[in-house]
Amino acid sequence: MSEDRSRILNLLAEGKITAEEAERLLDALEARAGASTTTGESAIKGDPEPLIAALPKYLYVKVIAVNGDNVDVKIPIALVRSGLKLTSLIPSKAMDQINDSMSEHGMSVDFSNLKPEDIDELVGTLREMEINVDAKNGDNVRVYCA
Amino acid sequence: MPPMILDLKVASSTRRPVHLWLPLFLLWPLAAALGLVALAVAVVVDAVLLFVGRRYHHYTVLLMRSFAVISETRGMVIRFSNEKTAVDMTVQ
Repeated sequence: MSEDRSRILNLLAEGKITAEEAERLLDALEARAGASTTTGESAIKGDPEPLIAALPKYLYVKVIAVNGDNVDVKIPIALVRSGLKLTSLIPSKAMDQINDSMSEHGMSVDFSNLKPEDIDELVGTLREMEINVDAKNGDNVRVYCA
Repeated sequence: MPPMILDLKVASSTRRPVHLWLPLFLLWPLAAALGLVALAVAVVVDAVLLFVGRRYHHYTVLLMRSFAVISETRGMVIRFSNEKTAVDMTVQ
């Protein structure tokens, strides 16, 4: 196994990247290896860090309201992932209370249905998400990853 | 790495601006000691729950994941501003 490949797998094992991201990085490495083979170069010598660094690391939420209230939040994606993993471990009784409380506040999200295996996929998808809301009154909400 | 510094800036049109630099790293030795005690208790509780056949016996993992969540807050930035006040909180 190449050094790059083992580093990517280590990052995956440590939970620093998702399975989907690891797959993308491995694909990129293979593509580079393929290119170097066709040009007669030796095996991969590159550092996967630039590839990893290119992945979005933060979730941004920006709200610009007409009345002058502006909110700008930058959340590490690792925090989102850890938070979701934590919710999958909360005892069912406590989770029912959380769900009820969220439902009372108009957020009908059932976290008890969130399985640990879905979290990596969810976070991977989140990195590609972009939400732009332009309200009639001029309020602007933007959610994206970068 | 756990968050080390909480940088809090509060600016107001009616008051003097406040810039707080809170050294969270000073709390970590205390938190680590309490965490270790809690971890030991959680291991015992989980072992008992497992022994008596309870389905839920994941308090140790829950505690460790809670620490992980706290650690991952590093890099978080929250900014709020309106006509009168501006708040800027950065976890470093």
